[in-house]
Amino acid sequence: MKSLPEITNQVKKNLIWKSIFRRDYRNTVRDRAQAVFGNVFLHLHPVQVRESAVKLRFTWGMGGITFFAYLLLIITGVVLMFYYHPSIDQAYTDIKDLEFQVPFGVILRNLHRWGAHFMVIVVMIHMFRVFMTGSYKAPRQFNWGVGVILLVLTFLLSFTGYLTPWDQLGFWAITVGTNMGAATPLLGYQGPFSEFLHITPFNDVRFALLGGALVGGNALLRSYIWHCIAIPLVATILMFVHFWRVRKDGGISKPQK
Amino acid sequence: MANENKDNSSLRVYLFVFFSVLLLALSVWVVWDDEFGLRPWKKYQEDYKTLKHDKLEREYKKAVVEFERSGGHKKLAELEAKLEKAEAAFQSKETQDKYAKLNKQLDAAHDALVVSQQELRNLRGQFLETEYYFTKTQQPEYKKKMDSLERQIDAIGLVVAARQKSEDAVKGQLSAMTAAKAAIQAEIQKMKTPLEEAKERTAKNEQVSVEIKQIHIADVDKADRCQSCHIGIDAKSSVSSVQPFTKHPLSFVYLEKHDPNKFGCTFCHRGQGRATTSAEKAHGNIKHWDEPMLAGDMTQTSCLNCHGDIKSLRGAEKITKSTELIKKYGCYSCHKIPGYETVGDVGPILTEVGTKVNYSWEVKWLMDPKSYSSIARMPKFYFTQDQAESIADYMFSMTGTTRHDVDNTKSKPDAKLVEAGKALWAQSRCNLCHVTGGRGGNNVKVYAPELSKVGGKVNKEWLFKWIKNPNAYNPGTKMPRFRFTDEEINSLVAFITTEYQDEDMEYKYVQPVEIKAASITKGKELVQKYGCYGCHKMLGMEDMVQVAPSLKKQGVTFLRNSEMREKIGMELSSIGSKPVDMLDFGKMKKSISNDRLTYIKQKLRDPRGYRLGLRMPNFRLAESEINELAAVLYGFTDASVPTRFLVPSRQELDRMAGVQSYKFTGDFAKVIADVKCTNCHSIRGIGADYAPDISFAGSKLQEGWIRKFLANPDVIRPLLQQMPKFGLSSGKPLAKVTMPRFNLGQQKVEDTNKTDVDVVINFFQQELLSSDIPKAIPTIASVPLPDQIVKGKALYDLKGCRACHQIGTDGGALGPNLTNVGNRLNPGFIFKHLENARKFKPDIVEPNYGFTEQERIYLTNFLMTLKLNTK
Repeated sequence: MKSLPEITNQVKKNLIWKSIFRRDYRNTVRDRAQAVFGNVFLHLHPVQVRESAVKLRFTWGMGGITFFAYLLLIITGVVLMFYYHPSIDQAYTDIKDLEFQVPFGVILRNLHRWGAHFMVIVVMIHMFRVFMTGSYKAPRQFNWGVGVILLVLTFLLSFTGYLTPWDQLGFWAITVGTNMGAATPLLGYQGPFSEFLHITPFNDVRFALLGGALVGGNALLRSYIWHCIAIPLVATILMFVHFWRVRKDGGISKPQK
Repeated sequence: MANENKDNSSLRVYLFVFFSVLLLALSVWVVWDDEFGLRPWKKYQEDYKTLKHDKLEREYKKAVVEFERSGGHKKLAELEAKLEKAEAAFQSKETQDKYAKLNKQLDAAHDALVVSQQELRNLRGQFLETEYYFTKTQQPEYKKKMDSLERQIDAIGLVVAARQKSEDAVKGQLSAMTAAKAAIQAEIQKMKTPLEEAKERTAKNEQVSVEIKQIHIADVDKADRCQSCHIGIDAKSSVSSVQPFTKHPLSFVYLEKHDPNKFGCTFCHRGQGRATTSAEKAHGNIKHWDEPMLAGDMTQTSCLNCHGDIKSLRGAEKITKSTELIKKYGCYSCHKIPGYETVGDVGPILTEVGTKVNYSWEVKWLMDPKSYSSIARMPKFYFTQDQAESIADYMFSMTGTTRHDVDNTKSKPDAKLVEAGKALWAQSRCNLCHVTGGRGGNNVKVYAPELSKVGGKVNKEWLFKWIKNPNAYNPGTKMPRFRFTDEEINSLVAFITTEYQDEDMEYKYVQPVEIKAASITKGKELVQKYGCYGCHKMLGMEDMVQVAPSLKKQGVTFLRNSEMREKIGMELSSIGSKPVDMLDFGKMKKSISNDRLTYIKQKLRDPRGYRLGLRMPNFRLAESEINELAAVLYGFTDASVPTRFLVPSRQELDRMAGVQSYKFTGDFAKVIADVKCTNCHSIRGIGADYAPDISFAGSKLQEGWIRKFLANPDVIRPLLQQMPKFGLSSGKPLAKVTMPRFNLGQQKVEDTNKTDVDVVINFFQQELLSSDIPKAIPTIASVPLPDQIVKGKALYDLKGCRACHQIGTDGGALGPNLTNVGNRLNPGFIFKHLENARKFKPDIVEPNYGFTEQERIYLTNFLMTLKLNTK
């Protein structure tokens, strides 16, 4: 019988182990920093975090919770895509099948739906906190700007996801929403000054959003692509910029003494 | 962190543990719920299996008991002993030697056969090869070779046949040796089989897997999972009377024609076929699902989705009856309803109404039709006295300039004349269609007006002209022209105007009063606003159609006639599938349930209740009528049904095939336009089902009988006491329904010198024939006719015909009386009728006795002797 340290030693001598962990870990400041540097997922994170910055009373943890909600939505969203066809004949029945037929379909869809509501709420609370603690001030003004874009992207994700079940709620929400687009100055055919750009119902911003003049199959496909690919891609990139900027701007702001 | 407060950290540990346990519990619950909570059908299927198992077990035990009781074991033991004996005999040395020898012979014969067969195949192959070369090269040597090969093939073919024969002979000998044994074995097997099969059924039931049962109808992407719970819905027998385990009620009517595996359930029953998580969801009794499940008679509304013609559809009796209400109240007059485009006006023509009725009556009628007749079909428009007078002014202005009444009570006609009129009234069976004093009106589908108070309504001159020739006043009327003499008509008019007086009538305009022009204009506006022209023909409004409000808004005021298909009311083509969100509940939003059926019913109950400004009049329907009408309207859907499900109506099929639908032509058309035979009879799909279908009357009936019958239905008819259909359905005591006398045979048909009765007879014999009914029946030469008649009589007694049929005074009254059948029916018809009674009348109650041809000849010959001598 080999003793536990012997086995551990043998495992650690292994080439695969070494390719992943490189060296032994000792709980020193240097090793902790090395662990962060050496990990692709953690290298955006500051090597050291001030104690005041993780005080729940100050940050409310809302940024982190938002990111957690986002991860949850990505995971459930990908699984949902396995069961969903973005066509007007099948979309609604696919949603019904998720409810009645797919294993764990109910919790899957509900996690995604409620998770989305949750994310919108926490992202706004996060913004509120940042504003109230004055964390948008120099040197963090650029990151505030990135955050505002991320807020808009969150709303857009929520809006485009609304149509995907192809039910009455989504249908009319998108009808109303895109009609608001049609009333945009210059770019919507009903908006002021649009005649100067020769804007018609068939070349305005609503047409671009719907892929037509009515909410139909093209609108469903477009909202699906925006919802599942385009916006998440941009949002993910901007999120990493956001996190990286936090670190570059000297970490999370701290309470003023 | 190192400088954490100790108490604080222990709290954190507790919280961590608490939430960990909570998360674990939740995860377990999620898995449990997904496996069982959301899949209740699993339990239903398990329960069904248990129930079925119990049932099969019971059946098996019953079979075992039956087997015991019939001495099965003893018989089986006997057979087995016999088998043993046979086996022993077979095993004896002598037999075995013979058997082995024969087997050897068989082997040898078989080998020889195989060799020669092989040779034959080779030669055929060579022949084909040579033939191929010959067709390619056309060289004579190949031809020569082919000929020689052919000869060889013929020779070897004979050898093969001979060897086959000898092998078969040996085989026959062999099987003869084991025949006794095989027979006993077969008998044993036959005894054992039922028990074994019963056991097998039980075993098979155990193997049925618990799974979602889905029927997918690909062309409309419908997935019905109803059978996941209703597992035994298409079973032959129920295992339980508890839902969801029962079998479909009347499945031999509904499921036989609609295999659930092809049609699913929701085409007829609606509901949410995809839902499997709870009964409420699956049955669609939840918010935001517009199609709750249809159950019971209400399901028949779905017949309308596919069937163009439900008139004689088995299983659609309720909806057929309900559909009649659309015609009765003329919904199609104001609303566009598919299939009713060509149905005529529901109300009488009003062009010359000023010459017909009293002004005071007209106003009273307009204000409340039911105050005049409780069975009036015209709805109440809630006109004020002023409005009603304006409309009456407008209508009277078409034929005159005054408001005027005639008080019939003032003149007292001769009592003798009235007596004669009364007799004529009875003889002509006016009460068959018209109701007076709450009696009569058996032929309800004619919707003849009630005449209890008609004396206060019409004037005598008009009534005389009307009875003399109804078509002259109203070409579309259902009132027949009885060929009365002027004297007879006078007596009838005298009788009607004295007998049926209106006590409550106030004659305000016995002295005529001039009509004001302003009132006429106002009346015309009202007629247009409420669309009176929808049901009534009115002068100057023959082509009146409404331009839709949506079009008016766009500035369209003119449309070509063919485009003007709008009706005054909303289109009802798809009211039964209109999204509930699009129904305007208005004021009633909070006080009634917000679903489609309730909406339709409330609209019928109180048409102007939802909001101000609605124009639909109140028909004051009975609650039962509301339910029936709502069921029909609920069936007008735009449901997407696969084309292969559609069963077009006869007319549609004819139109698609470019075939003209049947029309009466020639002189007979002139007679029928007058006598209106189709009010009661049906001829070639035209007409009503009140009286017998006479489509094949020419083949069925004897000329002499038709003649006598038409001349005097009263005398011969009582022998034909058929049960009137409406007597059955309304539960009233059976009335002795007889056909009215139309006094045919006294007048010549227009433009001809034939009498009308000759025209009718001629038409019957030329047109109303069936190629299936022979003129004469086959004869049996070997049996003399008197003997045949005796045999027929014996059959008549043997089969219990007298239970339903009457001869003389003997027998039941359910079937037609046969006392005079020898004078009435053609033998060919009787002969065919006995073969299959349903051929000519699908809903007949007469059972099919499966007579042989010989028996049918005997019976026919017997029945033809039944003749009553009438003068």
